[in-house]
Amino acid sequence: MSKEVEMKSVDEKKKEEKKDQKKDGKNEKKDDKSKDKKDSKDKKEKEKEAEKPKPLTPLQEIKLNITLIERSVVTLEPRFTHRVLRTFTTLKKKLTPEILRESINAVYVKDNLIKQTLLSYLPPPPPPPPKEEPAAMEVDTAVPAATEAKPETKAETKSETKADSKTEAKPTETTPAPPPTDPLPESEVYFRLLLIHWLLTSPESHPKALELVHDTITKIQTWNRRSMDSLAARVYFVLSRVYELLPTVELSEIRPLLLRSQRTASLRHDAESLAAVIVLLLRNYLHYNLYSQADKFVAKVTFPESAGNPQLARWLYYTGRIKAVQLSYTDAHETLQQAIRRAPAATTAPGFWQAVHKFFIVVELLMGEIPDRKTFRHPVLEKAMKSYFEIVNAVRTGSLSQFQASLNAHADQFTEDRTYSLILRLRQNVIKTGIRQLSLAYSRISLRDICVKLHLDSEEDAEYIVGKAIRDGVIEGRVVHEKGWMECGGGKDGYGVEVSEAFGKRISFCLELHNESVKAMRYPLNAHRKELDAAEGAREREKELAKEIADGKNLDGDDESMGDF
Amino acid sequence: MSSSLPQQYQDLKSSFERRPCDLQRCGQLLDSLKLSLAEAGLLIPQGHHDLGDLTVARDILEIGAFWSIRSQDVPSFERYYAQLQTYYNDYATVLPPSSRRSPVIGLNLIRLLTQNRIADFHTELESLPPKELVGDDPFIKHPVNLERWLMEGSYSKVWNAREEAPAEEYKFFVDSLMGTIRNEIATCEESAYDSLPLKDAATLLFFPNRSDLLNFAQQRGWQIELTAEIIIFSRSVEEKAEIPKRKLIASSLTYARELEQIV
Repeated sequence: MSKEVEMKSVDEKKKEEKKDQKKDGKNEKKDDKSKDKKDSKDKKEKEKEAEKPKPLTPLQEIKLNITLIERSVVTLEPRFTHRVLRTFTTLKKKLTPEILRESINAVYVKDNLIKQTLLSYLPPPPPPPPKEEPAAMEVDTAVPAATEAKPETKAETKSETKADSKTEAKPTETTPAPPPTDPLPESEVYFRLLLIHWLLTSPESHPKALELVHDTITKIQTWNRRSMDSLAARVYFVLSRVYELLPTVELSEIRPLLLRSQRTASLRHDAESLAAVIVLLLRNYLHYNLYSQADKFVAKVTFPESAGNPQLARWLYYTGRIKAVQLSYTDAHETLQQAIRRAPAATTAPGFWQAVHKFFIVVELLMGEIPDRKTFRHPVLEKAMKSYFEIVNAVRTGSLSQFQASLNAHADQFTEDRTYSLILRLRQNVIKTGIRQLSLAYSRISLRDICVKLHLDSEEDAEYIVGKAIRDGVIEGRVVHEKGWMECGGGKDGYGVEVSEAFGKRISFCLELHNESVKAMRYPLNAHRKELDAAEGAREREKELAKEIADGKNLDGDDESMGDF
Repeated sequence: MSSSLPQQYQDLKSSFERRPCDLQRCGQLLDSLKLSLAEAGLLIPQGHHDLGDLTVARDILEIGAFWSIRSQDVPSFERYYAQLQTYYNDYATVLPPSSRRSPVIGLNLIRLLTQNRIADFHTELESLPPKELVGDDPFIKHPVNLERWLMEGSYSKVWNAREEAPAEEYKFFVDSLMGTIRNEIATCEESAYDSLPLKDAATLLFFPNRSDLLNFAQQRGWQIELTAEIIIFSRSVEEKAEIPKRKLIASSLTYARELEQIV
């Protein structure tokens, strides 16, 4: 019962919000058109400013990001926020408490509760800063503040209508005339994210980060703004990260919270948070090796299609791992390959790249294939994959003793990578490759020799193993028990239905890739205008042409009539 | 916790540990104990409970698991195992480790092996900490080794290991495990041999006498030539090379359609 009620209330909220957004959207669009030109000019100027002096100071960058976020909220275009989040990784490395304090001071001109709470997470300021700096900053802020003044007031009224019922979220806003430069909640969340990342840099401040992250999540959930989705997804990510880093708390503690967020996110069609939370839950389960639970979760949940590539890559990685554990290697291989394709470039996310490749190679081996030598020469992978390279070599040559030796030598690394049990399963593959090589090299070989060459314990075992290999289709051959040898048949020829199937698979993959990329194209908003103009001209030309043709037809008709006579 | 529970628990413990164990009495006690556990909210515990209560509840469930095996009731074992999961996973950090944990897990692994649920077997194995996986715990090592030998095809090792079961309860699964192995070997023989002397077939399939082998051969539909004392395996009919017309036409049509869209 309570769930239904909850769902209803959520739905109602959603409807209200949609109405709000529609209204706002309409009003804004009118204004936007007139403003668009100004805005775009401003933007260009700003971008020029941003790009020309190459090392943009972090302070400027933060301010630029704030304006971008606000623009994305105002224009209902999430891609501005995405742009901000893309720079996040590089920006967070440059953060210092001074920069954070200055930027907060610059954006929150008025002294209010939000500013105080934000600043309270920073260490107390060192001796009062020299007076020149703040003055210089105010000059800086004056420019964006002026251009942004109009949209903000509108957005403020919008948030106010909603915030009315939850005054506790924004107590200062109820005053009759909202100050023009009061930033949006999205900006606040952005600052909170920056703060959390800064707090995470030193282990002493981790508990503070924990507190801040929980506070932020409750705020996000009460605000319930669609324009905040991509930021909210980031906050969930950070939440899990804090729990991983802090030794005093267990990662499993946030599972109920994440499950709850997953439900609400899917009810609110908040695809970005949903994707993030699903991935985090999977990570959470796999951290404790709870594969069966993770599998059940995957079966119940549908991953949002609109999710970004990084989340999709993570999702594919985790599902690939689950499938590998459950012995469906073909599926796992496909999924992990997709994960590699979707993953960001190797140099930007080397950790993920390495982790996926480790599983990918083990799965490839388990499928009976030998991975490309090229993979191990990749600069990012070369060092990390050294031990895996040894395993691959052992499997390739079919030498059980070498396999065992490298397995023992690198056991610690494999357990750390969580590939140990998968690699243990490779033992039978080593034997199979060995047998296959023997079957290729000999047309007849005694079981005794097989036993010696593969380091098997007894002839009896060898007979069973060969029998199994024949049944599994690893080799073509026959065992002659009375004589104690194995006779090997010839291999298959390269003709048949399988070839066309293999080609068909590749062709369909290429076609799908083409279709996907067509679907993924973005078109600028008013680009069709030009085409329309061009079409107009074309239509006129067509009219003329039609006229001419008509004239010509007449002539033709004349001709015909003439001909008849 | 209700007052009768501790008394019944002691009862159960003593009748379980008595040799030979009193299965009927245990079953009755378990039934009533489960009822009182459910009343106390300990059957599927949530949130915080008294540590002593939790340990007692875990003990009861573990005894239940063993009792199910002894009374040859596999579905009941599965249920007890599922209930124990909460204690082994969620309360692992608070509860003192149980001495019966690894036997119960090992038994479950063997159960999955005999039911030929290899994927579940590996999922279960993966959820164990790696230390236990490579460690010398005989209860876990036994099923892990069995699985490896089965996968390799070293069936004789599996056969020889049947007497090395680390606990009484493991033997219950031995017979069905041997049945699984025999079937595996039989399918291997069918594809790997043209013919096989009866005597060798008996040793390969671990049959002590001839009549068992003949029965088994009849079940699988093997051809037996009693005069020559050999089994002839009928070759599965060579697949004919047939061109899948429909499939080829369909794929050509899709290519044409897709190309049409692109150009």
